[in-house]
Amino acid sequence: MKKIFIYTFLSFAMLSMSSCDKGFDELNVNPIAATTVDRIFILNNAIVSSSFPTTTINYDIGIVQQMVTPNSGVLTGANFNQINNSNAEGIWVNYYRNVIRNTVDVIENTKNVPTRANLNNMARIWKAFAFIIVTDAYGDVPYFEAGKGFLENNTFPKYDLQEAIYTDIIKELTEASAALNASGTVESSDVMYAGNIAKWKRLGYSLLLRAGMRLSKVNPQRAQQAVQAAFQGGVMQSNDDNAVIRHTANYTYPFGNLLNATEAANYYMTDVFVNALRSTNDPRLGAIAVRYVGATSGAGQTAAVANRNPEVQIGMPIGYDNVSITPIVNSLRLASFYDFSQVDRTRIVKPIAPCFLVTYAQTQLLLAEAAQRGWVTGNPATYYANGVRAHMQQFAEYDAASAIPTAAIDAWLAANPFNPANALQQINTQYWIASFLNGPEAWANFRRSGFPALRKNPYPSQQIQGNFINRMVYPISENAVNQANLRAAIQRQGADNLDTKVWWDK
Amino acid sequence: MKRSLPCSGIAVLLLLLLFTQSFAQNRVSGTVSSAKDKTPLPGVSVIVKNTQRGTITDSEGKYSIAVSSGETLVFSFVGFTLKEIAISNQSVVDVALEEDVTQLGEVVVTALGIKKEAKKLGYATASVTPDQININRTVNFMNALQGKMAGVNITTLGSGPAGTSKVRIRGQSSFGGTNAPLIVINGVPIDNTNFALAQGNQGSDGSIQNRGNNNSDGGDGLSSINPDDIESMTVLKGATAAALYGSRAKDGVIMITTKSKGTGRGIGVEFNSNFTTDIPMILTDWQYEYGQGEGGVRPTTANPTSGVWSFGERFQPGMTQVLFNGVTVPYEPQRNQLRQFLRNGNTFTNTISLSSGTERGGFNLSIANMDNTGIMPNNSFNRKTFNLGFTQTLGEKLIISGNANYSKEINRNPPQFAQQDFSVPTVLYTIANSMPMDVLRDNAFDAQGNEYIWSRFRNRTNPYFNMARKFENIFRDRLFGNLTLRYNIKDWLYAQVRVGQDFWTRQQEYNFPTGAASLAPAPAGFVNGSFVQEVRRLREVNADFLIGATRKFGNFGLDATFGGNQLYVQSELNSVQGTDFVVRDLYTIMNTRVRDPIYGFSERKVNSLYGAAEFSYKNFLFLNLTARNDWFSTLSPENRSILYPSVTSSFVFSDAFNNMPSWLNFGKIRAAYAEVGSDTDVGAYANNLFYGINANLFPIGTTSGQAPLGFISGLTVPNANLRPMRVSEAEIGLELKMFNNRVSVDFAFYNKITKDQIVSAQISDASGFTSTRINSGQSRNRGFEYLINVVPFQSDNFRWEVSFNGSYNTTLVQRIITDDNGTDRDYNGDGRPEQIVVGNSIWNAGQGQIRQVVGQPIGMLFANAYAKDAQGRRIFDDAGFPVVVPLQPFGTTIPKWVGGITNSFNYKGILLSFLIDYKLGHIMSSGTNFNAWRHGLHKGTLPGRDTYRIVGEGVNQRGEVNTVSAPLQQYYEQVRSRDIGEQFIYDAGFWKLRQITAGYDFTKHIPGSWFIKGLRLNFVANNVLILKKWVDNIDPEQVGYGSDNLNGLEATGVPTTRSFGFNLNVKF
Repeated sequence: MKKIFIYTFLSFAMLSMSSCDKGFDELNVNPIAATTVDRIFILNNAIVSSSFPTTTINYDIGIVQQMVTPNSGVLTGANFNQINNSNAEGIWVNYYRNVIRNTVDVIENTKNVPTRANLNNMARIWKAFAFIIVTDAYGDVPYFEAGKGFLENNTFPKYDLQEAIYTDIIKELTEASAALNASGTVESSDVMYAGNIAKWKRLGYSLLLRAGMRLSKVNPQRAQQAVQAAFQGGVMQSNDDNAVIRHTANYTYPFGNLLNATEAANYYMTDVFVNALRSTNDPRLGAIAVRYVGATSGAGQTAAVANRNPEVQIGMPIGYDNVSITPIVNSLRLASFYDFSQVDRTRIVKPIAPCFLVTYAQTQLLLAEAAQRGWVTGNPATYYANGVRAHMQQFAEYDAASAIPTAAIDAWLAANPFNPANALQQINTQYWIASFLNGPEAWANFRRSGFPALRKNPYPSQQIQGNFINRMVYPISENAVNQANLRAAIQRQGADNLDTKVWWDK
Repeated sequence: MKRSLPCSGIAVLLLLLLFTQSFAQNRVSGTVSSAKDKTPLPGVSVIVKNTQRGTITDSEGKYSIAVSSGETLVFSFVGFTLKEIAISNQSVVDVALEEDVTQLGEVVVTALGIKKEAKKLGYATASVTPDQININRTVNFMNALQGKMAGVNITTLGSGPAGTSKVRIRGQSSFGGTNAPLIVINGVPIDNTNFALAQGNQGSDGSIQNRGNNNSDGGDGLSSINPDDIESMTVLKGATAAALYGSRAKDGVIMITTKSKGTGRGIGVEFNSNFTTDIPMILTDWQYEYGQGEGGVRPTTANPTSGVWSFGERFQPGMTQVLFNGVTVPYEPQRNQLRQFLRNGNTFTNTISLSSGTERGGFNLSIANMDNTGIMPNNSFNRKTFNLGFTQTLGEKLIISGNANYSKEINRNPPQFAQQDFSVPTVLYTIANSMPMDVLRDNAFDAQGNEYIWSRFRNRTNPYFNMARKFENIFRDRLFGNLTLRYNIKDWLYAQVRVGQDFWTRQQEYNFPTGAASLAPAPAGFVNGSFVQEVRRLREVNADFLIGATRKFGNFGLDATFGGNQLYVQSELNSVQGTDFVVRDLYTIMNTRVRDPIYGFSERKVNSLYGAAEFSYKNFLFLNLTARNDWFSTLSPENRSILYPSVTSSFVFSDAFNNMPSWLNFGKIRAAYAEVGSDTDVGAYANNLFYGINANLFPIGTTSGQAPLGFISGLTVPNANLRPMRVSEAEIGLELKMFNNRVSVDFAFYNKITKDQIVSAQISDASGFTSTRINSGQSRNRGFEYLINVVPFQSDNFRWEVSFNGSYNTTLVQRIITDDNGTDRDYNGDGRPEQIVVGNSIWNAGQGQIRQVVGQPIGMLFANAYAKDAQGRRIFDDAGFPVVVPLQPFGTTIPKWVGGITNSFNYKGILLSFLIDYKLGHIMSSGTNFNAWRHGLHKGTLPGRDTYRIVGEGVNQRGEVNTVSAPLQQYYEQVRSRDIGEQFIYDAGFWKLRQITAGYDFTKHIPGSWFIKGLRLNFVANNVLILKKWVDNIDPEQVGYGSDNLNGLEATGVPTTRSFGFNLNVKF
């Protein structure tokens, strides 16, 4: 009996002996996850993730005085010209994590694949688009080493000079747009243009035009070169070429989510913006605005009291908090601040509203300025009218109830003709309107051009010295984990506050 | 670095062998008593020498056993000298045992379930008796042990009664990974997955994240154990004690033995009933001078409602306020909001057990039901457990034993804690101080049945709406147990195989209710809200074998063991989130518009071989050597094998020398050194970057086609070259018993080095990832523990005993990044002491960030600080707001001093004891106080209220006294917009009157003719009183964050409770 036990015991032991880690290599292979995927899907994600983060309502859109909230705490930002770290880091977090990391992945994994050359160039264009937004917000940022945490194990990327970043963006846009090849592989799964190479080329050159114009103040010569290259390459030709995220019920518009939910009753159109539209009887006011007449609270903003008539719209003045605004509310004979006009959350900021990133309207207005400066051929007045018309036509894409009839567009253009004597102000004021809800672009163009002519936010307790917020502060996480590189950037660029100007703004 | 046993495999077996044998035997019976006072001794082991046949005496000291003529009976009992009696033809053998004052005699269950005499051990252990677990109990039994074991730090979370229990032995050593001890039941490890969620956790401790904003504590592996089933519990504290358990035991082991046989003959029936009432401890001390409103204005018709802001006007008699529902009510303080909302909870546990025991084996079967209702009005927890343990000797030499434990748990609506959205506790702690609760209750719904918007801060869901509409159910079915076959080949040699499995399925469902004000509307034709349903399955199998031999050669003894183990863990997750519904209030996946499924799967293995040899000399000098080799499937082939040794020794000097002073009853010194390797911080498949495809397609441009969106999985940079973490620990100890055993002391000093830690360290977002997994650094835990028992007074009728236990531990971060050759590297090139970020507060890093910094204690709390000049005055900017310095260090969040003092009094059998415990030497960041501050509830926001502007006390940036006033509400709200965490950093220490127990055993008054054989009644009180604390408005133990490394980051949890109740034990 004893022997039976011992022999059984030992034979079991022997039988199962082979190697202590036999099968471990196979065991540690994830059976349910892919180690690769068609990279067009990754680019798709980068594109859809580019929809502007909601923090740009608080800062970018607030700085250019289109929307404002009287509330403080979480909502503090451009309304009081104060620092709010959580909101200031929105662009950084969204674009680095969701757009740049994806585009870098696509670029690195397709760069030596001839059949995916078009995809590679599309990703280069999209990366440039994202970096324009990021560097415009913060100035010097990690660029050349960005997004390479896995590829090169670079977890603490260096900050690059904005000048060097723009130089490379211009190079990338120039090369990638030129290299796009209509006879190459058509990336038909591309969610932006279904792989249409001509449209991607026009997007690339329109972004080159955008990047070039950005340098008009700091280096007109380089600006002119880039603008001319873009113009020769061929920019967007109609609203069909617009780069737009058409949000769906599955992939909703971040602004739409915010402005229909937690902050539904907290953001209002400014009097600056409402009055700018109303002073010219701009039909866009009727397409954008709603006023919940007589509302005394968020709960009182019901469909029954919604009024979309441009005549009744009243914008909220900036420079007030939710207490100091009370006398204004009273003097305007409003029921409460909930009675001011809002951007209509059932139309242009509904949860499935599209988000326009780069538009034909913006492109035409940039060309209007370029033509006015003599950098490109063509009549500034024509570009100007095309731009305004295109933007007005854009509203049909938000909602049928926001569509602006052609007759109204014609009438407005007839009543507000291009005036060469006041060209830059007129063009850039229209650019400001045409970039409504595109905070990063509206804010950058305002800093570059100085238009529209906005007045300083009069709020009494501000944390800026100048008239306007000039840049976003860096995320405090960078202070914790990437301090050496951050410090070098601050040393070069100037104090990490809302006042320091970025390179092209100096 | 790389050492490996020449190994080719691990044998794991199951045997089915049948043995039969018959004997000619007599039956011998008798009574065993104490020679000193002639009282009967129950529980004495009676064994036939050189066999496995044996029994134990019953409650009257009686035994009965079959013995053949010529065999010898061995009587042994803890604290008494062993006695052997040869049997010829006697049928009655009464035995009187002599007390053995020199022998501890205590038997300790050590690693792998091997029982050892305590005096042989060269390392520290801590034990608790079943009474310490059972009588004054908590829902998760571990929480009842707070302050009772030296060196063991137990933390409850403010997450409801069924929440997890955080156990740390000898402090925290891992920078970013797990620090929890291994739980072993009857020699086999079980899973102890922690379902306390961890928002913002960057660690790699496998914390489970829920979807959306759900943040409840779903309990841990300990919460499915019925304390009535526990026969003994031992904590193996150090790596030395745990060396044979290898990788997972680097933070110690909790060894639980469950009952496997009865103590008397025949079927014993025991009934235990325990009832406690839990009363919320409400410690809020809000300001009640200024009421609801913002900027110094109370809500009137033309003004916005605030709901959660108390920056209104000074209360004056006769004032009114207009509430969100348009009703005008008096403007007056509402002081009892929390109490009005919360109810008293209660816990009712009933256990009935059947047992039987003979010399050849026995069984214990218990059935228990625990019903708990939480202080949150919709929270309840029910646990049913069935436990069967048995042991049986088959034939002469084969022993089969095993246990099976089935538990069924239903946890309904565990509170949402450490969370902003849909968290009732967070809202309760932020409601404006003049908001009447009955108005919130009666106006929770609008005409459409949606949430009636009551605050401009819509994430603050009306708690009554939340209670009515948000639900969460967690169902867990769990079966764990093991089967052991042991064959005694010779009387000095045995072989054993054992297979254990822990298997559970856990079904969880929760919703985000339709109509909540914080949710965006659904597309036309649908209603908003979402619903999540998920099933998790986990299977952990441990199979091991063990061969052991014991020989004596004169004065020398050898005890050798060799064995192997294979661990296999497989986990699976099926989860679907559905958003927007067709039919309102029908929360099923099939009723949803969009569905987002997740399937998760992982498996891993650890193979091990190990051996131990114990040498003894004359029963007073012991030397124990062990070695273990582990192979980890999660690591790369070059790094997966690791060999580590341990050596321990024990010297009982009181036995070795004859000339000891008479007051010294027992003396022992011990020393130990061990190494352990671990992969516990590496998940399966951490070696690769993965891609995936989103659940839903996206339209292709303006075409009708749709295309997938792909994603790069995870925000952690994978690392294929991780090495096993290494722990080495040395300890020495001293045990003394003096003055007729009236004073006993047990000291331990230890030094533990943990290196090659595997950490998920936060990195720059600009890298595209948020963390990277690296082999990083070294920590040193150093400390001492003591257990001192003193009997200051003893007489025939009265005995007073005091027990002090405590520990001092500091964990120093010695290195953060080391290269392969062990040298330091300036990790991110910034010239600072090396540091890594392991996690942030749920709001923002500025509120609280946990870092590991070289040269500092582990778990340093960083937060944005007020800028100060050289004289310590705060600096203000030109707008009158404080200037903020980002992320400054404030101190460690891990307590240095943990301990307890128990006083027990016994007067003629009436027992009274109380326990005072403490944790000291650490700090915390309080999210509750942060919310209270920015919402104007905190008393600290009173200055400046009269004018509603405030001039901060300090200087401006030019060094002049600040004269600029800032608007009051914004000034205080700077703590939010600038995340000034410094304002909410508190000393986290406390002294508590933890437990009071009073009881009496009526057994001796019960006539022998009654069917009741025993009766004991105890009255209990738990968490009775906070004697001292430093944090405002909350109990310092009311923490959020179940995560392993995010200690000290409090974010509102459920108030702790004070419990009163009784425990009744009846034996039949």
